[in-house]
Amino acid sequence: MPSQIQEEKPQSVSEKANIAPAYPPESPHSPSITKAQVSAAVCQPVTSTNTISYTHDNSKSPIPLPLTAEVASPLAKHHHTCSSCSSAGSCASNDNSSPLAPLPHPLVSKQVDIAPFPASLGYTTVTVPNVRYENVTVLVPPKDSPKPQNLSFVLNKPLDVGFVERPIPKLQSPHDVLVAVQYTGICGSDVHYWEHGRIGHFVVESPMVLGHESAGTVVAVGSAVKTLVPGDRIALEPGYPCRRCGDCLAGRYNLCHEMVFAATPPYDGTLTGFWVAPFDFCYKLPGNVSLQEGALVEPLAVAVHIVRQARVSPGQSVVIMGAGPVGLLCAAVAKSFGATTVVCVDIIAAKLEFAKEFAATHTYLSQRVSAEQNATALKEAAGLGGGADAVIDASGAEPSIQTSLYTVRVGGTYVQAGMGKPDINFPIMAMCLKEVTARGSFRYGPGDYKLAIELVASKKVDVKALVNGVVEFKHAEEAFKKVKEGQVIKILIAGPNEKLETHGELDTGVDAGKLKEAEAAAANSEGGCC
Amino acid sequence: MNPSFVLRAVNDVVFEDRPKPELKDPYDVLVHVAQTGICGSDATNRSGTITAIGSRVANLEPGDRVALEPGVPCRRCEFCRKGKYHLCLDLIFAATPPHDGTLARYYVNASDFCYRIPDSNDPGGGRDGRTCQRRGGDREDRGFRGAPDGGVAKAGGAGKIIGVDVVGERLELAREEYGVDGTFMPPKPEEGKDSLEHAEAVSRLIKEEFGLGDGADVVLECSGAEACVQMGVYTLKSGGTMVQAGMGKEVVNFPITTVCTRGLVVKGSIRYLAGCYPAAIDLIAKGKVGVRKLITNRFKFEQSEEAFQLVKEGRPDVFKVMIEGVQ
Repeated sequence: MPSQIQEEKPQSVSEKANIAPAYPPESPHSPSITKAQVSAAVCQPVTSTNTISYTHDNSKSPIPLPLTAEVASPLAKHHHTCSSCSSAGSCASNDNSSPLAPLPHPLVSKQVDIAPFPASLGYTTVTVPNVRYENVTVLVPPKDSPKPQNLSFVLNKPLDVGFVERPIPKLQSPHDVLVAVQYTGICGSDVHYWEHGRIGHFVVESPMVLGHESAGTVVAVGSAVKTLVPGDRIALEPGYPCRRCGDCLAGRYNLCHEMVFAATPPYDGTLTGFWVAPFDFCYKLPGNVSLQEGALVEPLAVAVHIVRQARVSPGQSVVIMGAGPVGLLCAAVAKSFGATTVVCVDIIAAKLEFAKEFAATHTYLSQRVSAEQNATALKEAAGLGGGADAVIDASGAEPSIQTSLYTVRVGGTYVQAGMGKPDINFPIMAMCLKEVTARGSFRYGPGDYKLAIELVASKKVDVKALVNGVVEFKHAEEAFKKVKEGQVIKILIAGPNEKLETHGELDTGVDAGKLKEAEAAAANSEGGCC
Repeated sequence: MNPSFVLRAVNDVVFEDRPKPELKDPYDVLVHVAQTGICGSDATNRSGTITAIGSRVANLEPGDRVALEPGVPCRRCEFCRKGKYHLCLDLIFAATPPHDGTLARYYVNASDFCYRIPDSNDPGGGRDGRTCQRRGGDREDRGFRGAPDGGVAKAGGAGKIIGVDVVGERLELAREEYGVDGTFMPPKPEEGKDSLEHAEAVSRLIKEEFGLGDGADVVLECSGAEACVQMGVYTLKSGGTMVQAGMGKEVVNFPITTVCTRGLVVKGSIRYLAGCYPAAIDLIAKGKVGVRKLITNRFKFEQSEEAFQLVKEGRPDVFKVMIEGVQ
């Protein structure tokens, strides 16, 4: 009988790889700075009802922030004058329309009383009255901050990437927040777009910013945002549904036909400095969860959604085909849902070794035999008796999908999570005779992010163990190449304004031989997960 | 511009000419209200014609006749996002303070909460969206709200449907119009008899008279009356489900141990969810559930106060009272 996984694991991958530490914990703010002092020092009083004069000094800070005027709502067409930029050029909310008469509006709110962001980092929060309706509350950078950057990692066409300075995005509604992106993980779909310029019918037709697995800090909030304040560290959910169609109203927003998803053409992704999101898609990280762990919440939420689709309940047995990041996370989530037998399956032995350390109770190296024979061997190796209660395919590979149908028990559940060939030979008779329930799983829906964060905070899933290294933003392309090589699980790319305390000693050199192997394994695959 | 029937204080109503409401959101529509029905709380059933649409409205055009779902949720809270928008704490519900209702010429609504009515339907037929969460099986109801529930249960494939009420006219309507398989008028309790004992006795009578064996699969409690809530629990078979739709006293004497020992499921039901309105319109359009007979009284807009007085009287021959919109 294969041994059960130990509680005390041997030295984990992350300890070996010299990961940059988490973002410095917040320290209590200095009581000597009052809001009034800040306001006086930093903001000119509003001199007329239809202009905002805002001046500030830039000083050194870990996260240079946009000028306040640049985050004003596009709904407000107003003049402003910033002493630090010319009104014609660098300020993003550059608008030359004539001043508007002030309008009474139900959304005009009172000053929001917000505790200053830690003064040790030099920031303070200020509410800037907006001439049209909303007040926007922002983080104000300390004196002498360098000019904020919104450098972005852009895909022009397959294998042709570049770094481009893009305008800092603006809040689109009073429910929006502006986030300084600090860490972004690389997903198989990002690599796939980089290589092929398309996934299915989504085709990159004009330069597109990559990335969607991110975490960062809120720097500005619209007036209708009650649950987040500037300074909050958040995990970012990168897909925004319409909220009005039948699927959205029925609670299945991941299926919204008008979904706007980061780094899925034609929408830009999060490998950039600043990102705008509706507040309900930004999830505050508890104090014991780092921003780097925050960047892992997105793939973990994918895994949560998959395991929920599989209806895993306490005492069950679960088999997961594919020991990539999603498969590994599914194993960990299944365990936290109470599964007592969790079997990881792959064609690469090294991945299974890691899986055993990480979350699996059993592993099985898939054989080049018929699907039925493979399933028989698998069930025996893992002591599954007549079959597993749930089988999750996180590989997309045709032989794995076929093996899955012979591995699941009578009356069990099969979930298709992996994406490979669009059409395959499927053991439909097995599905019928065994009365198997099959479900697809796509991205994540209501409650998945919240549970994912809870799993990290309560230490039920050790997402840090999947991170092989963190690289600076300027090394983004090397990171992509490294992921494609196939020897790493997860690499994080720091945001363009993020300073890594210790430079993650990740060797971004790529082994040509391993690259060939990875390419062969990925043959016929569409790849990607989001 | 916009004659409106306004409640200023208890029993103090007045007609006011208010400004025409404006579209606040590119997904809003402006509706010229055609009919408003009066419900226990105030007015929940309404329909009208679209007169203006916001810039991003794709599903409706001016001139469309629509049924209005009067509760627009926030779309952002946990409940909304998981599809339970009827539980949204920030639900904007017409004629629930501080939001105005539809007893006016015009009403602004979100476009995804307006549903086109097929031309064959008379807009005067009221809509009660709460016709969608029904299952097959025997069931017990009371009151005119329950009567269409019977029709919906029948359309949904229920085997045997029993209507229960103390008002003869309602049982008659249930029989004639909604195709219930049987009706039952519970006898009054004897002087000094314990309410729960009486409820149990009546439920035994019901099970016997209609051959329900161990009991009904489903009970729809649509009256809110304490005695009926009790009867409902006792009439269920083991493992059965009771749906509490009726609103009466906040606190009742409830046979909770029976729920435990017989493995019952008790569910609350409030308003309606995604898909209910379209399903209701479809049932009415296809003639599977007739609502015409529920409308017993019609009033012109100028007679609104009289209409409310009539509902207040609680006469047994008055079911649904409709107030025509401002012409």
